[in-house]
Amino acid sequence: MSGLSLECRNCGAALVAGAGQRSARCPYCASPSVIERPPSADRPPPAFVVGYVVTPERALELARAWLERPLFAPGAFRRAAPHEITGLYAPVYLYSAATSTSYSASIGEDYTVTETYTTTDSQGRTVTRTRSRVETEWRELRGELALYVNDRVVTASRGIPNHELEGIEPYDLRALRRYRADVVSGWAAEEPSLTIEECVGLARREAEAAVGVRLAQFLPGDRHGEVTWRTGMAHEDLALTLLPIWVLPVRYAPDQPVVRLLVNGQTGRIYGKAPVSVLRVIVAVLLVLGVLAGAAAAIWLLGEYS
Amino acid sequence: MTASLAPCSRCACPIEAGDLRCAICSLPTPFDASVALQASAVIMRCRGCGAAIEYDVRVQAPRCAFCGSVVALEQSLDPIEQAESFVPFRVDPATAQGALRAWLGTRGFFRPSDLVSHSTVQSLVPTWWVAWMIDAEALVSWAADSNAGSHRSAWAPHSGQAPLSLRSLVVSASRGLTFAETSALTPGYASGDLLAAPHAMPGAVIERFDVQRSAARQIVARAVEAQSAADAVAWIPGSRYRKLEVAVLLRQLSTRRLAFPSYVLAYRYRDRLHRVVVHGQDPSIILGSSPKSALKIALFVAGLVALLAVLALVAALFARAG
Repeated sequence: MSGLSLECRNCGAALVAGAGQRSARCPYCASPSVIERPPSADRPPPAFVVGYVVTPERALELARAWLERPLFAPGAFRRAAPHEITGLYAPVYLYSAATSTSYSASIGEDYTVTETYTTTDSQGRTVTRTRSRVETEWRELRGELALYVNDRVVTASRGIPNHELEGIEPYDLRALRRYRADVVSGWAAEEPSLTIEECVGLARREAEAAVGVRLAQFLPGDRHGEVTWRTGMAHEDLALTLLPIWVLPVRYAPDQPVVRLLVNGQTGRIYGKAPVSVLRVIVAVLLVLGVLAGAAAAIWLLGEYS
Repeated sequence: MTASLAPCSRCACPIEAGDLRCAICSLPTPFDASVALQASAVIMRCRGCGAAIEYDVRVQAPRCAFCGSVVALEQSLDPIEQAESFVPFRVDPATAQGALRAWLGTRGFFRPSDLVSHSTVQSLVPTWWVAWMIDAEALVSWAADSNAGSHRSAWAPHSGQAPLSLRSLVVSASRGLTFAETSALTPGYASGDLLAAPHAMPGAVIERFDVQRSAARQIVARAVEAQSAADAVAWIPGSRYRKLEVAVLLRQLSTRRLAFPSYVLAYRYRDRLHRVVVHGQDPSIILGSSPKSALKIALFVAGLVALLAVLALVAALFARAG
């Protein structure tokens, strides 16, 4: 995907927009532009947008507090300050479908068995007593489950993997707004970079997992196991939606890779992968071993003197 | 939830003006996206002063940095709902008062003897209480334990799936009447003659729904699920069941917001007020509280104790004689 050479509508200067960019700023007059392209199967027009609620100052504050938290992170990381903050409207798909699931499961139904046994009482006599114990009768159950699966959010960006997006979810989808170009004006906004097939695959896996969760609540009995199910999706829909994310790169040492923090631009929830300091882990293990050894020594000494 | 636009193409439920997505299945409502024919860079301009506008996180909307004007974004509308149809009164206030008098005379043995003669009506308020009336088609999946086919355990698992047609299911939104009162009143209404506006009724109170559209939809969805679970009981084999779960796939859900007529009366007997609700179309349906005679209750208890004592005495005498 190559860049686009466009013209700034304000000053006429050449404006180069990356292939994945939905917005740009003129380097000469600083005018914010929104890039409009003919839609394609992999780049449908956005349907919805969620606006920013968290200010950049608040996002930085939250990120600083988050950096201090990981116990086993290097000291430099815990003291690091994010030097840059970028607001990004990330493309995601909102997936919904009508699902029809065929399932089978082993359902455990408990029952109580009373049995007699002989034992010796405190005076050494042989006595007969009864006791009850719970046993489970397993029965096979097959059935159908039909329900709507909705509001599954999957990434449409190669830059933000789905597990990182899940790290900052949920978004309050009651705040969805109909997409308008002026919402992304002045902000970095990305076009989908994953193909629609890749996104449908991600969404179907999420939908199947959601059906599995509902199925676990749905099954009767006192317990269940060996649950298998096959879900068919009908009337699937993917609505391209732009979600607000603050991106903060953290460089804590010149020889270490940059750690990227993502902050949910609506709720302030943070995702990041803190590095682990081997030295801190060794010190912690030694400390625990020292405490255990001290406790064992104290017990041994108490035993010796008593 | 009146149908005012084309229904949802997935579940055939009505879409209302202001909906961005279907309330039942979340399918986005159709919209006209402007389609660019070729790539171009567009500057979004303020309609007031022509300056470039940008989204401002502080006002959570696109805002012009020069003149401060803010662009309103289209969002799901969530208005407070109002009754759209009215079931007319067929009982006049005098008949309602007469029905109350007749009802007081049928309050059973323990009512005070002077209840009818010494009760005075303190207030009579014609009240239109509000409710949603639901029609829907549902595919109900259910699973439960029942005693049918049980072996060592008392329970065996069962499951099934069946279509269900819900017709004229009334879900109360009344704050003034209790669930028990509205449930008892509902069967007595003739739903055929609906009015678009309330007819003249001096002093009448029209309840408000008091919930926003989104909350109303949740109440309606819960009511449909509860009704589906109630209907699913008939599909479970055996005579006992437990752990019933239902999943409902709704289609063609339509909801009307209705106002039903009733009279809320307060009457005083001695120094206490009692409340009664009289049906607005069938005066034989009356619900409410009435006093009990403490003297009659005391005499009844004393008589019962005396009878038991006599029976015990007779039993003791027979035992001694034997």
